[in-house]
Amino acid sequence: MESTLVSLLHGFSVAFEPINLWYAFIGCLIGTLVGVLPGIGPLSGISILLPITFGLNATQAVIMLAGIYYGSQYGGSTTSILMRIPGEASSVMTCVDGYAMAQRGRAGSALCIAAVGSFIAGTFGIVMLTVVAPPLATLALKFGPPEYTALLTLGLIFLAYMSSSSLIRTLLMACTGLMLGMIGIDNMTGHFRYSFDLVELGDGIGIVPVAVGLFGLGEILSTPSKNVTGKVMAPKLRELLPTTQEWREAAMPIARGSVLGFIIGIIPGSAHIISSFLSYALEKKLSKHPEQFGHGAVAGVAGPESANNSASTGAFVPMLALGIPTGPITAVLIGALMVHGVSAGPQLVTEHPDVFWGFVASMYVGNLMLLLLNLPLVGMFVSVLRIPYAYLYPLIIMFCIIGVYEVSHSIVDVWIMLIMGVFGYGLRKFGFDPAPLVLGLVIAPLFEQSLRQSLIMSNGDYLIFFSRPIALGLMLVCIALLAMSALSFFLKRNDWRTKLAVAEAGET
Amino acid sequence: MDRRSFVIGTTASAAALATGSAFAQETYPTRTITIINAFPPGGVNDLVTRPVAASLEQIFKHPVVVDTKAGAGGQIGAQVASAAKPDGYSLLSHNNGISGYAEVDKLFGRAPKTTRADFIPLARLVADPVVVLVNDQQPYKTLKEFVDDAKKKPDTIVYSSGGLYGATHIPVVLFEKAVGGLKLRHLPTNGGGPAITSVLGNNAQLTVQTVSASLSHVKSGKLRALAILADQRSKALPDVPTMKELGYDLEYYLWVGLFAPKGTPANIVSTLVDAIGKAANTDQFKTAITNIGLDVGYQNAADFAKFWEIDAKRSDEAVLAIGKQG
Repeated sequence: MESTLVSLLHGFSVAFEPINLWYAFIGCLIGTLVGVLPGIGPLSGISILLPITFGLNATQAVIMLAGIYYGSQYGGSTTSILMRIPGEASSVMTCVDGYAMAQRGRAGSALCIAAVGSFIAGTFGIVMLTVVAPPLATLALKFGPPEYTALLTLGLIFLAYMSSSSLIRTLLMACTGLMLGMIGIDNMTGHFRYSFDLVELGDGIGIVPVAVGLFGLGEILSTPSKNVTGKVMAPKLRELLPTTQEWREAAMPIARGSVLGFIIGIIPGSAHIISSFLSYALEKKLSKHPEQFGHGAVAGVAGPESANNSASTGAFVPMLALGIPTGPITAVLIGALMVHGVSAGPQLVTEHPDVFWGFVASMYVGNLMLLLLNLPLVGMFVSVLRIPYAYLYPLIIMFCIIGVYEVSHSIVDVWIMLIMGVFGYGLRKFGFDPAPLVLGLVIAPLFEQSLRQSLIMSNGDYLIFFSRPIALGLMLVCIALLAMSALSFFLKRNDWRTKLAVAEAGET
Repeated sequence: MDRRSFVIGTTASAAALATGSAFAQETYPTRTITIINAFPPGGVNDLVTRPVAASLEQIFKHPVVVDTKAGAGGQIGAQVASAAKPDGYSLLSHNNGISGYAEVDKLFGRAPKTTRADFIPLARLVADPVVVLVNDQQPYKTLKEFVDDAKKKPDTIVYSSGGLYGATHIPVVLFEKAVGGLKLRHLPTNGGGPAITSVLGNNAQLTVQTVSASLSHVKSGKLRALAILADQRSKALPDVPTMKELGYDLEYYLWVGLFAPKGTPANIVSTLVDAIGKAANTDQFKTAITNIGLDVGYQNAADFAKFWEIDAKRSDEAVLAIGKQG
């Protein structure tokens, strides 16, 4: 422990070198921009800037690129809250309640809560990374396909809590998402499924084009048919800050989101995407006022925004401690280190202490920078809403198209986004919530792959999901949740969802 | 201006014009060259292609940019490159994957989108031999121990690969064929990283990966290397015997090569081949390759074409042996 402190202090001495501070700042700034611009995610941001880092040394390179990664998690909430456009896949949930808050004139408050929540979660993640990285990383390796399957089963059950519309509508959307997730090459047999002879569909339908299309474009397309009076929201400075009541509502979700996000973040694979979805569902389940979710619940912003930030930090644990990438972004970071002859892995701490501790310390500094960068920007971002729609929306559509194209340089993705935009417009008109669809799309390929991998491992024996401790634990949680729902169903207690369905039926 | 100077002037400028156009023809390139990289940033293809692009830029005095067109196991990049104008301004950086698409398409009764004939091999840049790896929870210290035990319990030991018909699947199938009577169970994952992770976590017991990808795990003792599929032992892993030493005639490398689309004029191809040869010989390129844990495995166009022929035969053989799954 003491040696950790000494090493960390040494790390700070590296991180505080002006040149390193500068690269951390550049990384955070670019990350914020990448996050704010719809479509352009951290992966494309890092990929574009990767060649530039070849001229830097390893420490500077990793400090800057990592800054882009965690910085983008801060910025991702901005467009979600202001315009209902998810900057990244992980900020889809913020579109729901964040945008609802903005419509009630609480945009500034939502942005502040998202920034502070991100800061707390990010810092929590780094403290955990500093203290418990090696043992946790070993634990993360235990998370194989059966555990993944169990976690995603839990995700599927949580799908039902995702939406404020009726259960049938939610499940309909979720099933659509799951079916869209079936598109692409079948990893186990090599068949192209539903690809219509387009190689571009081989990797499946991307989450970003779908999310940007359904939420952002759908919203924009539906604006002309609404009664727009031309009056734009112009919040006063006092209204930019969250009220005491809002802080109180945000506190626990931030704490829970931080822990949940970190745990999910260290799992190798793409699980970190579902951290914000799971956090949202968890908050809704725990909330005393679940009916507020979807209509601007503070917890619905605070939880997911904290979760995605601490998940992005958690993803560094297996990367730094074991040298294994948890996803495409950490894979690029490992590549960036390798270019400088530094190989990530167990020997990183001993062979290159400057890189390791300098990097860890720079994340403490970077998170503080991001908070200081983002809070003053809240006022400016909110002012964006003052721009008349006639000028703002064409600009947004342009950014969406550029951003979505940039993800994998594919014009097919742009078409998917445009089609999803029209589809999203339809959904909005008929009162369907697109969030479960996006989660379905995220879960389907992961779930299918891990399920089939598990069954290969066990030679077709389903007991594999109940014979490994972590998988068993998660499966028991799933069973308990289903049993509770079944119980309340049989007791004919009208829970809030049925009430809501009745109310909805009455409305139409 | 008198008449004489006028005549001289005109002749001179006409001559200048004439040499000018001849000059333009001779000195390809005259503008930016794009190398289409079929694999995602941060991967071996990316890390090898960028330094070679940088060295080519210095030779050509024109920008050489890397354009990532990743996806569908490299098929998207190959397809984009095969459809590009064959004028020498669109090249392709690809790897073993380019050999197998046509054969897999045939297997599924699909019209092949690209075949090997669509590309002219320019140079091989690196060739990283693959290593047979087991995790530290397995009792096997030698390949023989493994083979003996695995034969006793067919279809029990699980091996992970980066994907079906992929460059880390094919060598295992070739190995199974070479041993005879060996049947392992295949766990496909989505990439080399996840394949290693699943062996580290003992969700699979064996995998075949490149030296550079597995070296740090072998050094830390988490993975044990049983054999290397190369013509000689690796400098990085001098204790690991080659398959030949163990009595199996097996070689398999994960290579990265540069290609031009079919129809590129012969003079441009030879300019490119020369330039890439020079680029691969620069210290700058060598350092970049050493840094990522590889050795420069440069082969000129003729040698590479021969190597590719043999390698592709191996790949076709393996794809047929795997057959159509499910």
